[in-house]
Amino acid sequence: MPSDPTILAFDTSAAHCAAALLSGGRIVAATAEEMGRGQAERLMPMIEEMLAGAGFAWRDLDAVAVGIGPGNFTGIRISVAAARGLALGLGVPAIGVSTLEAQAEGMARPCLSLADARRGMTYALVLGEDGPPVMTDAPDALRPEMPRAPMADPATLAPAMARIAAARLALGAPLPRPAPLYFRSADAAPPKDPAPVILP
Amino acid sequence: MSEPVTILGLESSCDDTAAAIVRHCDGAAPEILSSVVLGQTDLHEAFGGVVPEIAARAHTEKLDLCVEQALADANVTLDQLDAIAVTAGPGLIGGVLAGVMLAKGLAAGTGLPLIGVNHLAGHALTPRLTDGASFPYLMLLVSGGHSQFLIAHGIDDFTRLGGTIDDAPGEAFDKTAKLLALPQPGGPSVEAEAKSGDPTRFSLPRPLLDRPGCDMSFSGLKTALLRERDRLVEAHGGLRVQDRADLCAGFQAAVTDVLAEKSRRALSEYIASNPFDPVFAVAGGVSANMQIRAALETVSKEFGARFLAPPLALCTDNAAMIAWAGIERLRAGLTDDMTLAARPRWPLDQQSPAMLGSGKKGAKA
Repeated sequence: MPSDPTILAFDTSAAHCAAALLSGGRIVAATAEEMGRGQAERLMPMIEEMLAGAGFAWRDLDAVAVGIGPGNFTGIRISVAAARGLALGLGVPAIGVSTLEAQAEGMARPCLSLADARRGMTYALVLGEDGPPVMTDAPDALRPEMPRAPMADPATLAPAMARIAAARLALGAPLPRPAPLYFRSADAAPPKDPAPVILP
Repeated sequence: MSEPVTILGLESSCDDTAAAIVRHCDGAAPEILSSVVLGQTDLHEAFGGVVPEIAARAHTEKLDLCVEQALADANVTLDQLDAIAVTAGPGLIGGVLAGVMLAKGLAAGTGLPLIGVNHLAGHALTPRLTDGASFPYLMLLVSGGHSQFLIAHGIDDFTRLGGTIDDAPGEAFDKTAKLLALPQPGGPSVEAEAKSGDPTRFSLPRPLLDRPGCDMSFSGLKTALLRERDRLVEAHGGLRVQDRADLCAGFQAAVTDVLAEKSRRALSEYIASNPFDPVFAVAGGVSANMQIRAALETVSKEFGARFLAPPLALCTDNAAMIAWAGIERLRAGLTDDMTLAARPRWPLDQQSPAMLGSGKKGAKA
């Protein structure tokens, strides 16, 4: 891995397609498009346009960073699957970065990062401490003394993800394959109609 | 003979995550270099059927592992491939999307062409992979999600003669298993149970047999079975093992009769078109049922058509059929770009009127 790796980051965890390219230690291209649907069709052409505009090609990438949510399940999977395919195709690592980490990028630690989880719930992560992210219905009771990260903005999300991935690469930490952050289990219930008792 | 073509296929439209590598030299028999299928039966078992969200989650985190396994099994590296083929529909959209996006990433990373394949075309072109069947041949696609008769005229040219207007037979087998406290998937467990049953004891309906054409219906059969079950449970305080076996045998006989008679009608229509080398091929998980397979073979013989039933592993969902369909499309110059869409619905026959789901989402089949 070069000391200043070229890293592509992208995210479709909400109603947007966002991408950024980090190279030579700075963001050389970034793009974000608001869209409610059609991310699966738009994501790769959008990245290709961004790379070409900055004079880069897919093969120039040293690593791929991808948003793993929390957010829209289908949207997260669109990017995570693409990132895992791209990493395999290029033979480079893929690095999953959560929205909660990305929106707190560059802030002094410790700080609190929150995101809307709908149905009256909030996702929360304390950065600078070791605990896992949680889903809570009382975010205000959670560490009120801490500064809060601003809510994610699609335009700044992907650049932040690229920088976080670069920092993780530099640390030489293990890089598990990116996997979506779901928080909620699949909406499914066992069948209502019980199976009959079987008699000999 | 032309240069060999080697293609990676990906399949994730239902509850099997699959990757395969197929190689073909024009004029020779195609070679399946590897075919990996990771099932998810255990993940869905508690819910009595495939849960789309659970399937989508599993596909997203298994597909790349599956590709690596297929490459290793085939002893092939990505730079030895000529294209990436992927199921782009029809199916459970979350899984199809995961496959399409993984394939796009792979195609971008390797610079290889991307080919979106219709899952049903994968099944329908399998007789050419396994037996070199030439067009036009008659195809019965009979699985957990589909049931239709097709005449395959070309790799992108299918005429549907008829199909189910409600449940697919595989779905009916699964629901029967569920109603009778048998394990999923229902096909093998109902078939095993039917072996010790009396198929004549319960008179279950043969829907639409009295109507002309090749359309089928299986939901009424399931309801009739449920009524018989409830009657037995009420009478005995539970379902006795022999009653269950007889129900399974009766159910299987009804499905067999319907498929055999509708095959007869489809064959007479197909044979009337004077095909050069008449072939009747089956695909889909239900064609693994030995009683159904035997009945279809008998009907095929009545019409002098060669009966083709691919090996079981190529009848059920797999990625070798997707890789093969990809080879056929690549040879025909049909590739896709990075805007390739995942489609929940995608009928093979674009001309015939829709049979199912003609709502705003378009025809399912």
